[in-house]
Amino acid sequence: MDQYDYSDVQRVSVGSGLENELCAIMYTDEYKELISIFVGLLQQNEVSERAFAVTTAVIENAAALYTAWNYRFEIGTALFQDQDRWEKELDWLDEFTLNNPKNYQIWSYRQAVISQQQKPQFVRDLPILDLMIEDDTKNYHVWSYRKWSVQFFKDWSHELDFVNKYIDRDVYNNSAWTHRAFYLQNIDPTEHESIFDAEISYCFEKISMAPQNVSPWNYLRFIYGSFKNNEFDARLVEFASSFIGTVLEVGTDSNSVAPHVRSSFALELLADIYAKRDSNKAKIAYQALADTWDPIRKHYWNLRIKQL
Amino acid sequence: MDDKSVGKHIKFCKRHLYLLPSHHQDKDPNRLAIAFYSLTGIELLRKPVSDEFQYSVDWLRSCYLEIADHSGFAISSIRNANDLTSLNLPNTLFGLVCLLLLKDHEFFESKLNRTTLCEFVSSCQLPNGSFTSFLDKCGCPSKIDSHDLRFCYIAVSILYLAGCRSESDFAQYIDVSKLVQFIMARQCSIGGFGEWNEPHGGYTSCALSALSLLGKIQALSSLDRHNTLHWLVNRQISNLGASIEQESNDDFDSDDSGGFNGRENKLADTCYAFWCLNSLSIIEPTQWRQLVDISMIKDYLRNQTQNTVIGGFAKNDQDDPDIYHSALGIAALKLIEDEINGVLCIPNSIIDDFELL
Repeated sequence: MDQYDYSDVQRVSVGSGLENELCAIMYTDEYKELISIFVGLLQQNEVSERAFAVTTAVIENAAALYTAWNYRFEIGTALFQDQDRWEKELDWLDEFTLNNPKNYQIWSYRQAVISQQQKPQFVRDLPILDLMIEDDTKNYHVWSYRKWSVQFFKDWSHELDFVNKYIDRDVYNNSAWTHRAFYLQNIDPTEHESIFDAEISYCFEKISMAPQNVSPWNYLRFIYGSFKNNEFDARLVEFASSFIGTVLEVGTDSNSVAPHVRSSFALELLADIYAKRDSNKAKIAYQALADTWDPIRKHYWNLRIKQL
Repeated sequence: MDDKSVGKHIKFCKRHLYLLPSHHQDKDPNRLAIAFYSLTGIELLRKPVSDEFQYSVDWLRSCYLEIADHSGFAISSIRNANDLTSLNLPNTLFGLVCLLLLKDHEFFESKLNRTTLCEFVSSCQLPNGSFTSFLDKCGCPSKIDSHDLRFCYIAVSILYLAGCRSESDFAQYIDVSKLVQFIMARQCSIGGFGEWNEPHGGYTSCALSALSLLGKIQALSSLDRHNTLHWLVNRQISNLGASIEQESNDDFDSDDSGGFNGRENKLADTCYAFWCLNSLSIIEPTQWRQLVDISMIKDYLRNQTQNTVIGGFAKNDQDDPDIYHSALGIAALKLIEDEINGVLCIPNSIIDDFELL
């Protein structure tokens, strides 16, 4: 702002002027001056570099002030003929994003900037997205934005490496697993005939590392539901059975060695599979969840038994 | 809650209503939200706010602006711009509910212009049925705003408070079927609602509450209900049974037992007790309290996130209390006791006073 002259801007008073406000803030004189200039320019709808500079200052003081973001974009759209200016805007936004990772406006603003660029580049976005997820590996907004980007640029080539990296780092990262599902749903399966079996093997490997992890179990259900018509095969039953000890073995009475269940999700998947084939076995499985392996949800599991 | 802790929570909430030091300047755009959370918390603790804070009615009314056939609530500090882009949907909902909490019947009877208010909501709707939260200079949905389930819920809630009840009431202002389509398209294959097939507790509550207010809960098939119910009950964290087999999960804490998380493999968080229980109460209105462990969620909130020294509730057992988690922690406990309408997030005392049901 320092480089511009605002002496001619008609200041507009800040706030209601009433004495009895709620959550009143003891504004600094600088803030009041800034807002009174901002409001003055906004009221005149001045489209200028100096007005643009004011929006920078307002956003840096009060990042949630949506009116300033909107004004900024309207000024930019009117003034910036040169694509370099939008590149500079992305540079500024990168910096702002790193300092304000939880702000609500940054990602939708970024979408708007990129959508109106003549030659937007996905590779331009990759470093900031990587940094933001590095910083907060389950940040919902960043993962959502990344999915939007991939679709916008129609470039799926980076995604498998990207999710592999985050699943390798933390096998419990649900956002990474759902991103994997998003990837799988959007590639052409005819070109990747063996991919589903490979993905199932991948899941088995990751589940074996940490069986009580709902994310890969959900991913398995997603694969069978989306691509295998929910036909759960012997391979899956055998795999899931390896985590439930002797819970479903008929004839094992309660006096024998207690069965050890290493994954309630394996037991639940088997219960769901047996619900369609062998309701007695399903009942034993749900009962075991209710009584021993997931007792916090016992009423829910009992409801499932009633529904058999 | 005992009387002593109720007193502390009320004090905690009140502190947010008085003059805040200048380092809170970055919260200037969110003052109506802070007022809403604080007043809601106090009212729910059975300390009616309408007398004590009646003095602020003029200020709240001053945030309500009519501009170019639209009306809504603006950020107070820039209200004098009298600019269409200063209104937004969240401020409008928070402003309206604050005036309800203060029992300002006069505002709702003679000051509020329901037609221009609904026109504002109407203008925020996008062709795909969803809503942005503010407009650009030309009165079109702003190009730089997001459009997600939060704003869908807020838009519907504002229309409800403006008097819309039947589908044809809503349809006067918005495309209901497009909106329902948008919401249903955000249903996740595993249950719940969210962006891009990753379900999220907050978005799930927004989706179900919006459908409920629109009278469109039947858009959910029985399989949809089954999946979402399953997803919701699984948000309650347990340290019993097989759950303990998660030593390598950095986001599993056995002290979280009883609390709710907002997504798979995340830590418990006070606010998701409200978002998840509210969602459950919409899906299973008669027996939702039997489907999760109610005494454990109460214990979690009281023993882990309630601050017994300065009052308020924190997000988790580590952080300092804040006004958002305080209001939602209190709201979760009051939802269990049937003292709040979760869909509108308005205390029953106020629902009755304005005959909102």
